[in-house]
Amino acid sequence: MLFVLAVTAILTTFYFAYPNSSNAKSEEKTFLSHNGAVLTTTGDILDPVYSAQTLKFDPDKYLREFNYGRVSKLPDGTTLREFTIIAEDDKLMEISPGVFYNVWTFNGTVPGPTIRATEGDLVRIHFINNGTRSHTMHFHGIHAAEMDGVFEPVGAKGGQFTYEWIAGPVGVHPYHCHVMPLEEHIIHGLYGVYIVDPKEGRPPADEMVMVLNGFDTDFDAENNFYAVNTIPFYYQHHPIQIDTNQLIRVYVVNMVEFDPINNFHLHGNLYHYYPTGTSTVPSTYTDMITLSQTERGIMEFNYTYPGKYLFHAHKVEFSEKGWTGLFLVKDKEKKS
Amino acid sequence: MEGQKSRAKLIASGLVPFSFLILMLVFILSSGSSLINFGIPLPELTIEKINFVKSEILVTVRNTGPVPVDVAVADVNDRIQPAAIEPDKHLERFETAVVKIPFSWNKGEPYKIGLTTQEGVRFEKSIEAAAPALEPNSDTMGLLLLIGTYVGVIPILIGLMWLPFIKKISNQKYVFFLALTVGLLLFLGIDAIVEALEVSSENLAGVFHGPLLIATVVLISLFGLYYAGEKLTKKSSLTKLANPYSVALMVSIGIGLHNLGEGLAIGAAIGLGQVALSTFLIIGFALHNTTEGIAIAAPVAKEKTFVRKIIGLGLIAGVPAIFGTWVGGFAYSPFTSIVFLSIGAGAIFQVVVVISKWLREYDKSFTSTPVVAGIAIGMLIMYLTGMLV
Repeated sequence: MLFVLAVTAILTTFYFAYPNSSNAKSEEKTFLSHNGAVLTTTGDILDPVYSAQTLKFDPDKYLREFNYGRVSKLPDGTTLREFTIIAEDDKLMEISPGVFYNVWTFNGTVPGPTIRATEGDLVRIHFINNGTRSHTMHFHGIHAAEMDGVFEPVGAKGGQFTYEWIAGPVGVHPYHCHVMPLEEHIIHGLYGVYIVDPKEGRPPADEMVMVLNGFDTDFDAENNFYAVNTIPFYYQHHPIQIDTNQLIRVYVVNMVEFDPINNFHLHGNLYHYYPTGTSTVPSTYTDMITLSQTERGIMEFNYTYPGKYLFHAHKVEFSEKGWTGLFLVKDKEKKS
Repeated sequence: MEGQKSRAKLIASGLVPFSFLILMLVFILSSGSSLINFGIPLPELTIEKINFVKSEILVTVRNTGPVPVDVAVADVNDRIQPAAIEPDKHLERFETAVVKIPFSWNKGEPYKIGLTTQEGVRFEKSIEAAAPALEPNSDTMGLLLLIGTYVGVIPILIGLMWLPFIKKISNQKYVFFLALTVGLLLFLGIDAIVEALEVSSENLAGVFHGPLLIATVVLISLFGLYYAGEKLTKKSSLTKLANPYSVALMVSIGIGLHNLGEGLAIGAAIGLGQVALSTFLIIGFALHNTTEGIAIAAPVAKEKTFVRKIIGLGLIAGVPAIFGTWVGGFAYSPFTSIVFLSIGAGAIFQVVVVISKWLREYDKSFTSTPVVAGIAIGMLIMYLTGMLV
């Protein structure tokens, strides 16, 4: 009896001390990681590499998707743009490979849809709250006080509200939920981009939207992941393809919370920067700008030489946690 | 017939509570799901060990929470790094895995290693200074053997050389030396428990309930060895006093287990690259352990001296230090260190009990000067030489 007890105790001790010596897999595989390291293992790979199939949110699609709404003309000739936006707050989304986070969404994605109108249009947003708590939509821009989405909380489970205003001023603006506690509603993903084009339009360009965001998955008031358009390291693995000598226009909006600043550095090039996009004259020609919360602007540039160019936060902590990407510049002349 | 019936009754009465216990568990697990699902089980990972090898960091992680965990992201200094995890990223309760992070680390610099679960919760462990892990080869084995010998074997043999001196002194002075031994051993036992508690609070996951583990192992070791010791002495001796050599053997075994624990600490310090610390450890332990020789010598001082037996006793007490440095240096596990330290503490307390019984033959109430002075001075000697560690 004593002997059996002693043997059991010793075996248990060894199980706790060295438990996994027996179940190792034998097959080795080699893997090239996102930063060029070579990994050889019989186990699993931990690397934030996204394959397109597993994505519920497609940053490539989001990048160049602009929503102009259901367009109709009013009797006085004004263009009416109507949008339907549905808020939800019960979704679990894989925001980095293997990491699941409860996102709160406008129309099912973080960021919400990019809403685009021309200055002077009548914008009408049919807002439906299918969430479990109150939400609103608060647009940066010029509108009536009761359209501000602050003092008009829209009730949970089917509450509705119609926001309406004349689009303006020209530029790129964020929109987000403005229900208290505000930080909680923003960091869960209730934000998006709203672009107002000048009446005369801007020069033709390859246009894209980049929302700089982050996720605090362990709720310690510090971001665990940073990204451009939600998925860490996405454009590092799926470079954004552009042509040489093609005007590129990027609408950049910084939605990162907790960290006071974010920034945007472009490799092998400089860009003309239009803060908030409200002026047609660039404020600076640089490869580095700093953005505080909801600070935004328009960047314009074109590449002369083909190849791969990095763009990333020069606050390197952010880039090493996912806020980094690549432009793959192709030679337009050779291609055609 | 009658006897069989009552026996069956007895067994049944023993089994009835068990069957009700099983019924209750079945009920809770099947229908009482609302009870099971009450509250939110929080995932927990514990990083048990971090090894720095050539341009790679090896992290041993254990699932110490109530639910299975999937490891999703590894980071170094809070910067995401690609990594591999073996055998796989899914960890059941208590399961461990090794995360291999390719990283050209710098010697002597502090690092924080983090692992993030699929829920996005990050667990972290800090390393004060990165140092290359010891690789088990003849060089390092030899080095650790040498250290173990300096710490464990030689000081104890030196301590045993006091034997002729203790032999020649008067009975009263001999009582003093026995009491001194009790003091030394009491200190060593408490020291082992304190050290085990330290390891537990620094490196052992909460799920193991370190302090309770220590208490359990110390007491099992104490009573187990006491039981075994009683059987041993009854067979070997007809006197009512325990055979001095078997008592000395118990002292040696207790001290040997204790030295195994010390060896683990030294080996681990070298393995973790805390070299400056371990030099101090070695000098301190060497001085400290000389007194352990006295503890072995005292019980047999009034007997006929068998030199071989004495040396054998010294080796039993000292050699485990060598094994300790090997295990600590190459395969450190906080759990095993705690278990060994606790067994050692229990063994030492058992010896204290046995020698105290001897002392009572001389001094029933523990109030005579040599006894009180011996215990006090023994503890003081240990405390003062312990300051060197």
